[in-house]
Parts: sequence; C-alpha cells; structure tokens
Amino acid sequence: MIGLDFLKRTDIFAGLNDEQLNQIMAACHEKGYESGQRLFAEGDNSDRVWTVMEGQVDLRFDLPGRPTSEENTIFSITAGNSLGWSSFVPPFKYKLSAYCATRNCKMLQVKKEYLLNFFEKDVRMGYQVISNLTGVASTHFHQLQNSATGPPVARVKITVHLATCGIAAGAREVMNALVEEISQANRPDIQVGTSGCIGRCESEPNVTVEIGGEDPIVYQKMTSEKIRQVFKEHVLAGQVQEKFRLI
Amino acid sequence: MVSLDFLESVEVFKDLDDNQLRTIQNYCQITEFKREEKIFSAGEDPLFLWVVMQGQVDLHWEMPGRSAFAEKAVSTLSKASTFGWSSLVPPYKYRLSAYCASRTSELVKIARDDLINLFEEDAEIGYKVMSQLISVVGSRFLNLQEEVAKLRGRDIINRW
Repeated sequence: MIGLDFLKRTDIFAGLNDEQLNQIMAACHEKGYESGQRLFAEGDNSDRVWTVMEGQVDLRFDLPGRPTSEENTIFSITAGNSLGWSSFVPPFKYKLSAYCATRNCKMLQVKKEYLLNFFEKDVRMGYQVISNLTGVASTHFHQLQNSATGPPVARVKITVHLATCGIAAGAREVMNALVEEISQANRPDIQVGTSGCIGRCESEPNVTVEIGGEDPIVYQKMTSEKIRQVFKEHVLAGQVQEKFRLI
Repeated sequence: MVSLDFLESVEVFKDLDDNQLRTIQNYCQITEFKREEKIFSAGEDPLFLWVVMQGQVDLHWEMPGRSAFAEKAVSTLSKASTFGWSSLVPPYKYRLSAYCASRTSELVKIARDDLINLFEEDAEIGYKVMSQLISVVGSRFLNLQEEVAKLRGRDIINRW
C-alpha cells in the first residue's frame, strides 16, 4: 500500500507538500515482480517513472544474443530509489535493462503523461520533481562511472571490522556466520573483506554493507543472529535494517 | 554581451520567452580559453554552468590507471552546447574534466548560485531549464555508456 510517508522518502518526490503528494499518490500504480523477472529491456519505450518499494532492482547491460547475467549489472537500486528518467529524455527509450534481483520486488509506477498534466497546473511541483529526477540521472551517471573503475563482478561488498576491539566484542563469530550465509546463497558477486576499527569501538562489532555503488550502510553491535538477518533482509532482499544501523 | 538570439539557440534555454532570456542574460559572463587549457577538473566544486559560444570543448573522463580513457574525450562540444550540468544537481561535483579543444574557445559562464536563486524565485524558469538539463545529463550518460561498453567488451574478451 502506497502512503504519503513512503512518497516523502523517495528520491523523486522528496520536497513536495502533502497536497502535491496526494495528487501523485492518486496516479500511482503498484506492481510486483519475482526474482529474475525483467521490468523492462534496454531500448523499450520509456513512458513512466519507477520507484522501488520493496526489494532490489539490477540495471544491466544485456549483451546481444546472450542470456542476462548478474555480471552485466551496472548498478542496483533499493527501496525509495527511482529509475526511468529516460521517459523525460528524447528519444524516450530505456538506456539499460532492469531485473528484479531479490525474491520479490514491489514497484511503484507513475506514467509520465500524468506527471506532465500535474506540472502544467503546478509549475513549482514540476520544478521540484524534474530537479529530483535530474539528481537521479546524475546518481546513475556516477554509478556508471564507478562500475567501470571497480571490479567487474563484485556488486556487493561486505566489510567486517576486525580490529582488536571488534574481535573482543565478537566480530569473528559474526564473520563465521556471514561466510556460512554466503556459501549457502551461491552469489559470486558478493565480496567479503575485513578492515580495521572505524573509531566507534563502543558499537563493535561493526559491519559495512555496500550494494552497487550506493552509499555504504554501517551496522553496529552485530551478533551471529543479527548478521544473518542483515544478510537475508538487506543483501538478499534489499531492505536496509534500520534498527541495527549505525551510519 | 551575450545576445538573446544566441541564448535562444542554447539547448537548456530554448523554451524560455524573451523576458526570461533577458533575466538569464544579466547573469552571463564571457570568458576565453586557449587550446588544451583546462576549464575545470572532475571532483571540483562546480561554481558555474557553461555554454560554448565559439570553438570546441572536450570532456574527459580521467581515470587513474586507465590511460586509454585519459587521452580520449567522452564528449566533444561545439557552439550552443551546455556543460557543467552538475553545478545544478546534488552533490554538486563536476563528473568530468573540461578542456579547450580548439585554438581558442569563447565560453559563457553563469554562476550556479545566481541560477539556483532565480529558479527558486521563478519556478517556471526553473522548470523549463531543468526539463532541458535532464536531456543534457541523458546525452552524457549515453556517451559514457558507450565508453563503458567498450571497456566491458575488453573485460569479457580478456576473461576468455
């Protein structure tokens, strides 16, 4: 169910007032996808904007004549983030293909023609949304740059902070549980590493999760159970676990 | 002085009426660069939106350890093209580096703060300009995508 609170937190509708959000809400359409299902293909007509409500969506370069592969993922987007800025850019074709990358994905869609009608009547709303959407395009530009400078396969990076303070607080047990989960998940795109203390000894064990060029999330006071939950819900299902979040 | 006729031909200002163009005209400054002179570097705080009046400008993607990209322009811009779009989009960092690519280039620069204040005061101008600016970003995205495709292609071949 789409609510005002969710719309306010999205990257494209942030900054709108309640009245404007209510109009958007009336034009929204919700649609569910299953793991591996394609939302759209590169070159398809782009006539709407999409926002992830639940799950994670991969944006990929599909190579002609070859099946899609996680290796071709340029970047991933999670809840509250949007795609489909190409619906406002001639020739109005998608620049990449999008796939549901988690068990399920729930997407919010708004057709461009509805948005343009709103903008015609309320130019301030148009300015806010188009500025936000330009910000989304800019983020994707940056993620595209990052995808070429980083390793071609690793899309998810999990760092366990294994300094003395972390080890004393139980970071090794956290690492063991994490490795166990990864081995069961069969995801070659997940890279696990270790690093030193981040200067927050009181919140150890700390674990940093980075997905597809998005801002890293640092989790605090991890235990074996908590890291399993972070892995299943954030890494595999795209839901940041706010209750464990440090930064 | 930048003429209204020129401003009207600039992609991001093409939907503005004469009054709106005159407002923009007040913020324009003309500046000149010589061949290979750097206009700005990727990562810098983008204080200006730029438009090519005369000459040519190359946008470079300067990646450490990737000399093939360092020497090749991602986009080459000529008269009436806009660059420095990241001056109007958070997190406000130039994404590429810009160099003068002709004997001389005459450029219009418009202070970011002036434009953002103007858009806040007059949302119609803001809406019209940002609706065109997103196309500029889209066009740069496509240019970059071609470069990434070449790089990915090389990676795939190298893995065989």
